[in-house]
Amino acid sequence: MTSSRRPVLVALLAALALVAGAAAATPAKPKPKTVQKPLPPPVTVFAASSLTDVFPAIDSRDTYSFAGSNTLATQITSGAPADVFASANTTIPSMLYAQGLVEKPVDFTRNTLVIVVPKTNPAEINDVYDLTKPGVRIDIANSSVPVGSYTLQILKNMNLTAPVLANVVSQETDVRTVLTKIALGQADAGFVYATDAKTVPGQVTVIKLPAWAQPKVTYAMAVVTKSPNQAAAQGFVDEVLSKAGQAKLQYFGFLPLPAAPKT
Amino acid sequence: MAFLVLPVVAIFVHVPPGRLIDQLSNPIVHDALIVTLRTSLVAQALILLFGTPLAYFLATRRFPGRAVVVTLVELPIVLPPAVAGIGLLVAFGRFGLLGKHFGIWSLLSFNWLAVTFAVMLVAGPFYVRAAIAAFEAVDRDLVAASRTLGASPLRTFFRVSLPLARSGLAAGEAIALARGIGEFGATIMFAGSLQGRTQTLSLAVYAEFDRNFDVALAISALLVVLSLAILLTLKVSVLWQPSRQTSPSLFARFGSS
Repeated sequence: MTSSRRPVLVALLAALALVAGAAAATPAKPKPKTVQKPLPPPVTVFAASSLTDVFPAIDSRDTYSFAGSNTLATQITSGAPADVFASANTTIPSMLYAQGLVEKPVDFTRNTLVIVVPKTNPAEINDVYDLTKPGVRIDIANSSVPVGSYTLQILKNMNLTAPVLANVVSQETDVRTVLTKIALGQADAGFVYATDAKTVPGQVTVIKLPAWAQPKVTYAMAVVTKSPNQAAAQGFVDEVLSKAGQAKLQYFGFLPLPAAPKT
Repeated sequence: MAFLVLPVVAIFVHVPPGRLIDQLSNPIVHDALIVTLRTSLVAQALILLFGTPLAYFLATRRFPGRAVVVTLVELPIVLPPAVAGIGLLVAFGRFGLLGKHFGIWSLLSFNWLAVTFAVMLVAGPFYVRAAIAAFEAVDRDLVAASRTLGASPLRTFFRVSLPLARSGLAAGEAIALARGIGEFGATIMFAGSLQGRTQTLSLAVYAEFDRNFDVALAISALLVVLSLAILLTLKVSVLWQPSRQTSPSLFARFGSS
């Protein structure tokens, strides 16, 4: 048996040598015209669910964990191995900063709230006031999740809290679950971010909410204090704040940060 | 052994019992308990009602394809609960296979019936599997003797097979009850989570976990106590014998013939 295998082995080794030689022999790639900064080493990023598509588009090498921002904060408090924490609001990172669990948070993008309904619109919702019709099934995130608390804020601003909450049938733990239930047609309407609605265009219809009622939806991120990769983590934050990172965010529908105040 | 016991003990040690009892009057806990009791009782009643004859049929009849039927009935046991949740959605959801007909979806959507469905799907097979084994263990000679003496098949079932299979059925029901109370994945996907309507004790633990950890702990302690109660009640009920049996003593040991 071995004597008949040996020629095969030799052939394989020869092929390998050939390929290796060819690779070594190819001329070096021409230098790119623009000088590119070396990418930071990959890190572990805990980020809000609404960042599920845009963050990997900014940097695909990192390990991501997406969930409701409050769930991630609890995990970090319990010692989960995150290097960076990105939340859909500024309050959660500030709270962690006060507890000494993260470094000083920095705002990195903004968003808006919208109503989504299934494409077939079974409950015939055309604007936010239709949500008060009896029998409408509304899905929102629970109040500990940033999008849930933004929903309550916008309802308060529009004076619709009681009638709309009376129609709420479920309170989810993150925004993408709300989106999925609407896309499946399980509920008649849901409150999500404008950026989430863009991820399932054929399955939901967006109903805009008035700009004057919108709460300030600002996302903030911070390096986790206990992270063993502080420099790399800061590198990721810089990536997101860079021109390229910000352009990607806006491509996915996020809003730019307000211009820096003149100090 | 310590590994199994420690997490349970830690729950009670972490919070002083006074605070635990205080939390029981918390409306979140109170509502979750009512939802759990209501859905569990109905689900288990339906499981017993439909599962027992099904198990008896599968245990005593032989027909082509029996192995396939038994496997299908046991399938939800190995199915991840999230998969069960998705299955329920595509079967009974608004645009699901069955859901889009006969107003089935609106009957179920986001209410306690949906929770009951989820519990029946994931817990039922545990009972049916144990019941099949229990009925198969009943001595055929006794059943034959009963029929020879003139008892109808129905009478034989209630007077011979059922009493003899009782301890196996009780054990199966204990597991089904515990599994039903602990059900989370399929429930949250199919029935959603709303305090007072669909939020069971398990869903409440998850919701309170990052909102108010004390409440989550209190609910966990409550669930441990409930599970212990189920286990003990069923163990005791197996030992109990009605006076019509051979031994005159009320707490006679449950022995074989």
